[in-house]
Amino acid sequence: MRDDPVVVALVAGARDGSKAAWDELVERYAPLVYSICRRFRLSEADIDDVGQTVWLRLVERLSSLREPAALPGWLATTTRRECLAVLRATRQRELRESPVDSEISVEAAEIDRALLEDERDAVLRDAFAELSDRCRELLSYLLQDPPVTYAEIASRLGMPVGGVGPNRDRCLKRLRRCPSLAALIGSAADTVEGGEGHDKSVVER
Amino acid sequence: MTSQWWSDDERLLSALGSALRAAHAVPGRFVEAGKAAYAWHNIDAELAALTYDSRREPPQDALTRAEPAPLRAMTFAASGLTIELHVSSEALVGQLVPEQPGQVELHQPDGLIRTADADEIGCFAFRPLPAGSFRLRCHTDSGRDVLTGWISL
Repeated sequence: MRDDPVVVALVAGARDGSKAAWDELVERYAPLVYSICRRFRLSEADIDDVGQTVWLRLVERLSSLREPAALPGWLATTTRRECLAVLRATRQRELRESPVDSEISVEAAEIDRALLEDERDAVLRDAFAELSDRCRELLSYLLQDPPVTYAEIASRLGMPVGGVGPNRDRCLKRLRRCPSLAALIGSAADTVEGGEGHDKSVVER
Repeated sequence: MTSQWWSDDERLLSALGSALRAAHAVPGRFVEAGKAAYAWHNIDAELAALTYDSRREPPQDALTRAEPAPLRAMTFAASGLTIELHVSSEALVGQLVPEQPGQVELHQPDGLIRTADADEIGCFAFRPLPAGSFRLRCHTDSGRDVLTGWISL
């Protein structure tokens, strides 16, 4: 995930004073931050607090972020840490109010797995955002629920019905080729093939 | 090797679908608040570092002191200006050291700002205590502009 040029450019833009670049960074990664908060089952008010803290940290770090392409990982880690801090504070308050031992209801292993999914989702959204308008439109139709028929897609996109399938394959191929997604798949595949003997992390940054 | 989310087009497409749906679940205010944080970019103030926090290092003499100890005490230091903070149950009081007059702003993440004057000996107070996190920005009459890190009580 080291050289997604779009993310690198957005970070550089935000650092150099472009509010538009910052806004786009937030739009891209707000879903990542938000879904991680949800994993920890925080209240909406706590989610807002964590979000604030994470974005403020990022603003302060813009000029010192050495690897802008590692931003999703940095955001995930920072969000996770802030969520845990909120949970700890809540737990301390609860213990003071009713000294019965209350268990933190979230399983650590379950959360870790879920966080990997959240990061994966962020990379998938990044890759999707970098597709052409036409590919994005086509894939969106395919993802609609209830599904749009090939005939309808063909007429909306102005292509022969026989062209929908091949175009779909082409767009998915492009999606896979997006640098950040290609890197994620590459490292995940290594992990799967390497089995337990290997020590390679899926979240290698 | 078992089938993975990227291994065929169907699974990749379905992973993409769930990623895009997750993005739709994010409330607009959450995104807007994130955008607003940019207001803190390149603030032209000197940053004061937290050099003491009673929560981290409880005072040694706490048990022998006659006066009631504050709930929390903190010190932020920039070159040539120190901000001492004491938190009691109803107020945040502070002092600029060396003693000097000025104006202190209390900023909250949602953009809310409260101000208090620092008197001749640099003392200021905010009542009631701020809820949530905040940071202080001090403008001294001598022209210094110093900003603390974010504080949560």
